[in-house]
Amino acid sequence: MVKMSLHLVQVMQKVSPSANGDSRASWEEDEEEDEEEDEDHLGLPTTTKPVTGRRARKVEGGVFFPKPENAVTVAVSSRVLFRTELEQKVFEQKGVEEYLRYQIEHENEPFAPGPAFPFVKALETVNARLRELYPQSEELFDIVLVTYNHAHVGIRLINTINHHNLFIERFCMTGGSSPIGYLKAWHTNLYLSADADKVREALAEGIAAATMFMTEKLTEVSESQLRVAFDGDAVLFSDESERIFKAHGLDKFFQHERDNEDTLLDHGPLKGFLEALGKLQKKFYAKGQRLDCPIRTYLVTARSAASSGIRALKTLRAWGLEIDEALFLAGAPKGPMLEKIRPHIYFDDQMFHVEGAAEMGTVAAHVPYGVAQKHNQPQNPGVRK
Amino acid sequence: MGVAFPLLQSLQKVNQRLLEKNPAESLLFDVVLIATDSQQQSSRIISSTSHYGLEVGRFCFSSREDLVETLVANKVQLFLSTDRDETLQASQKGVLSALLGQQEAASEPLTVMLCGDAVVRPDSDSDPVPASRRAAQSFSARLGEMRGRFGASGSPLSIVLVTSSGGSESCGVALQALRSRGLSVDEAYCLAGTPRGPILSLLRPHFLLGDGVID
Repeated sequence: MVKMSLHLVQVMQKVSPSANGDSRASWEEDEEEDEEEDEDHLGLPTTTKPVTGRRARKVEGGVFFPKPENAVTVAVSSRVLFRTELEQKVFEQKGVEEYLRYQIEHENEPFAPGPAFPFVKALETVNARLRELYPQSEELFDIVLVTYNHAHVGIRLINTINHHNLFIERFCMTGGSSPIGYLKAWHTNLYLSADADKVREALAEGIAAATMFMTEKLTEVSESQLRVAFDGDAVLFSDESERIFKAHGLDKFFQHERDNEDTLLDHGPLKGFLEALGKLQKKFYAKGQRLDCPIRTYLVTARSAASSGIRALKTLRAWGLEIDEALFLAGAPKGPMLEKIRPHIYFDDQMFHVEGAAEMGTVAAHVPYGVAQKHNQPQNPGVRK
Repeated sequence: MGVAFPLLQSLQKVNQRLLEKNPAESLLFDVVLIATDSQQQSSRIISSTSHYGLEVGRFCFSSREDLVETLVANKVQLFLSTDRDETLQASQKGVLSALLGQQEAASEPLTVMLCGDAVVRPDSDSDPVPASRRAAQSFSARLGEMRGRFGASGSPLSIVLVTSSGGSESCGVALQALRSRGLSVDEAYCLAGTPRGPILSLLRPHFLLGDGVID
């Protein structure tokens, strides 16, 4: 019985890269098992290999199960890590029983990569570099799959993780109940989901979170350097200045920023995540790898460098946070700038900017925080699911 | 009211729902209440259970020494207790035993937690499968049958798999193994070394099953 099960899981690795493309990062070697296995006439391996001796064990040394409080935990839902639109449709049109039946039927077909996929792959690249420099350290990215899917979908998700060579060893499938409690148990530093309500719940609990959407156009991003871009107000900083702008207009906004130039802005929901990235960056700097650092952060703000931008920079400095590049657009559209930067993910509180970025192929995530939520409606509801 | 009170209520609810679906259903929970050292209180225990509307199939008043024999004689398939020594004793004699959770569980749905690390062990041909593991396997198969009577949502019985060590693949193997035994799991948590405590306090299972006595 058990042997059969092991074979079923192993057979998945032999599935040749499908339309999803070969998503191995360049630093990974070929699978050992593929070369050494003997096959019987059914194509099933005849020897039982320990399935835990796979992929990441090829990395020399290093920690694989870091303590959650030491790691930078990124929780992703299955709907943003993979593309599940077809299955979503089955669920919406035919109900939960049919949806589960469909999933089990297609268990051996891996899902295609979703909007969070390149970001997660980039996190793994950083981990590989961190393990080289600090083999005993638990200060790594820890990716947890958090889904309120039913565990019946579990085997398909695990098969998909294996197929794409993702290093995701922790997950929780809550079968319908809210995953928010589990986020806290895992000391989650960032939660990415397709469901805006879950994201809002997480934000209310003080967990950095953002909603992601599937876009058809995706520009290529770096495979060797993780790039994360943030909007300023209501993302890194609080929404206090936006409130003034919305209530009293641009002139009052400038006045307020000038008058308060030396007063720190209050922190926003993603400040903690930027901080976590900064801590990891310093580990590379400490080993003389500042120029070659595999993490790069960007501030992309509508503030202008000459005036309102100063307060933002002073605040970041006072917080002890370095940001690699600060781009002050003075109100210009963000899409073209993001297209030049090519971040793996861009966080903004306004759907208008998220959609603008997506149109130009940047993966943008919406942070439903602050006063902008009352005023902004998505221009194109189709983008949501 | 004691620790097992919500448990009995939820067992009853499962039985109720099973009978609603099929009045001739025979796969039901049968509760045996065992009291040691309470000969004097026997009538009080019996009247209390009926006062609270708890359905108890049988009452057994035995002594501590005869406990395991009583369990075997009554063909008990699962023995629940808050006393660790009792459960160890019973388990050694091949009776599937589990400690009752100290945390207060909700009464619905009946939440059974399986410790995945114990679910799948490579069967070695030389050693016979210990009696307690056989008991666990047969119990989980029956549980699976029972769970199968209900749909994916709205079930009064919920099965949760938690694997503490080992990564996502070993959890996948456990899911496959359970499914091949006829037990489909509702929720799955692969902890891979994360401390179990916080997760347990969120799940609040009524009891935990492993291959013997599990904390």
